[in-house]
Amino acid sequence: MSSKINGHVSPQPCPHLLVFRSRNGPKPFRALQDCIRVKPPGGRAAIRREPTEVPRCGTCEESSRSRLYACVACAAVFCHAPLLHSHASDHSLSIPGHEIAVDVDRAELFCCACGDQVYDRDFDAAVVLAQTVNATATTSTSGSTAMQCSVAGSQPENLRKRRRVDYRPWEPDSGEHISRGNQSIPLLDATNASLVSSTQQPWGFRGLNNLGNTCFMNSILQALLHTPPLRNYFLGDRHNRYYCQQKNGAINGTKNSRLCLACDMDALFSAVFSGDRTPYSPAKFLYSWWQHAANLASYEQQDAHEFFISMLEGIHEKVEKDKRKSQSPAGSGDCCIAHRVFSGILRSDVMCMVCGFTSTTYDPCVDISLDLEPNQGGSGKSSSAKSLNSFNFEADCMRPNQNCGISTLKGCLERFTRAEKLGSDQKLFCQKCQVRQESLKQMSIRKLPLVSCFHVKRFEHSSIRKMSRKVDRYLQFPFSLDMAPYLSSSILRSRFGNRIFPFDGDEQDASNDLSTEFELFAVVTHSGRLDAGHYVTYLRLSNQWYKCDDAWITQVNESIVRAAQGYMMFYVQKVLYYKESENQGTS
Amino acid sequence: MKHSVNRPPTPDGAEDQGNEPTLQEIINIKLIESGEKERLMELLRERLIECGWKDEMKALCRSYVKKKGRNNVTLDDLVHLITPKGRASVPDFVKAELLQRIRSFLMSAAL
Repeated sequence: MSSKINGHVSPQPCPHLLVFRSRNGPKPFRALQDCIRVKPPGGRAAIRREPTEVPRCGTCEESSRSRLYACVACAAVFCHAPLLHSHASDHSLSIPGHEIAVDVDRAELFCCACGDQVYDRDFDAAVVLAQTVNATATTSTSGSTAMQCSVAGSQPENLRKRRRVDYRPWEPDSGEHISRGNQSIPLLDATNASLVSSTQQPWGFRGLNNLGNTCFMNSILQALLHTPPLRNYFLGDRHNRYYCQQKNGAINGTKNSRLCLACDMDALFSAVFSGDRTPYSPAKFLYSWWQHAANLASYEQQDAHEFFISMLEGIHEKVEKDKRKSQSPAGSGDCCIAHRVFSGILRSDVMCMVCGFTSTTYDPCVDISLDLEPNQGGSGKSSSAKSLNSFNFEADCMRPNQNCGISTLKGCLERFTRAEKLGSDQKLFCQKCQVRQESLKQMSIRKLPLVSCFHVKRFEHSSIRKMSRKVDRYLQFPFSLDMAPYLSSSILRSRFGNRIFPFDGDEQDASNDLSTEFELFAVVTHSGRLDAGHYVTYLRLSNQWYKCDDAWITQVNESIVRAAQGYMMFYVQKVLYYKESENQGTS
Repeated sequence: MKHSVNRPPTPDGAEDQGNEPTLQEIINIKLIESGEKERLMELLRERLIECGWKDEMKALCRSYVKKKGRNNVTLDDLVHLITPKGRASVPDFVKAELLQRIRSFLMSAAL
């Protein structure tokens, strides 16, 4: 019935629509397109013969109830309320060829015979065009990361750089063949088989000693040690600390030769994946990180998220020192492994509420910080939940996350990507109006990272009382997550109503048909207060969950994880894709 | 076909032309002409999104489609499904706010 393009279903026309199109020439909706009226703000498209027309049912004169349809064949307007009366249906039955109508208030096509919405590519394209012409400018904005673009316009260049190639299993080249023979030992043989018997924990599990309130560091390190692309990178010797230190020592002198967080990470991976089960003390790593983040160097408790960001920055800085700075576009991840793994691109649309002009900017991000929903006890939510309950609707509709006020990660993401009206104290400058106007802002994800890190803002700051407090409210998070609804393409699509998005089927951006499914593999939890608390990480390997509490790693049941208070959640893309290597000579 | 778009609406011979417009119709036309109806609709949309009503309706539709199968559901089915529940679950404070807006509009329009 429908075909899938770019992950979105493209509906096939009903028989009546096909007949209509075949009978009315190459542009059957041409006349209708002249009647598209777009009203800012919001840019809603309606069908009116004259701008001031008040549509009215030709049979019963009804004009105040909704769902008025104009017959596309003869332009007569009728009401449609299938349970009471449908003069639109009567009309379609009385005259063959008059089954297709258009909703006058939504500019959406409808087949009165099928009782269902239908879609026409050309008509939908015309509606979207009318709406975007209203909302775009001809001038470009200032700022290095701001990109002026209409929906029909350009996309970030960096996503088209390298073409995708099929996966080929690794084969050692001649150099690797030799070193493999000489230097390597088998992972499993009689002497160390006992270390990796099936009853024991999998490879790479090693407790991390707390060196004095360093659980914030241990928890993040455990998550990073088991972040698949990062783990593969370091275990695959992609950053060799001996080679790096040798190189840096020669260039910078002995002082700078120690400052490479990536080298310290490499050392950490070697230690943790060595097969040794005794707890490891990441003292060297802590010391290196202190040198990088001098302001955080103390034995006081720190925030794990702050550490995470600072660490990624540290890896980026040190690695980029070798290459030319700012050569790679922001968000492409070509600069260092930290960004390759965690960097995505967020899109921000700001629409002027007065003239409808929309300004779009793209910014790279290494994680997404989410607000917890405001106080669950709001009158709006509880009263609507009560009335729904009274209807005895099917059990599967009464999902706890929707109606009983439990916060979910999906709910947070929906709120993150919802169009938000900025308050009158937050007026933004509008290009067209040339003054600050009230605006509507909407976030969406332009490019998904390999690993999505979600950070839950559990720290509430009250400006009145000049203090912060921690929000302990439970947040439900799924083990599998489909990010498709939060992508820019989905968000844009929903902005234009129910239509075929005119840019479906374009092969411009190969990242469109990448899988959007993610799997949870690490959860960093926090217990306690803002100033005195403890971080614990839960890791998932082969669908088995393990609790990493500083030096102690134990296997736990998944229900423990589900009930835990998530602070940072790490999801990895389920399917990986490969691009041609930029450096042809190296692996 | 081009001409038919510009043709005035077909008067139905059966209905008498002499009916006085009802108060509801007069109010509706005044609201539309002044642009107030458009503003009220936007306000209503905003409130219904904020309080989660739209998400709840979406969830109802989704689970219905999941149950029936995507190809066995029509727009009319969904409208029929959520209209009674939707009308009943609009929060009181939203209704109150809109009524207040309409009331002040009527007073200012001196009807």
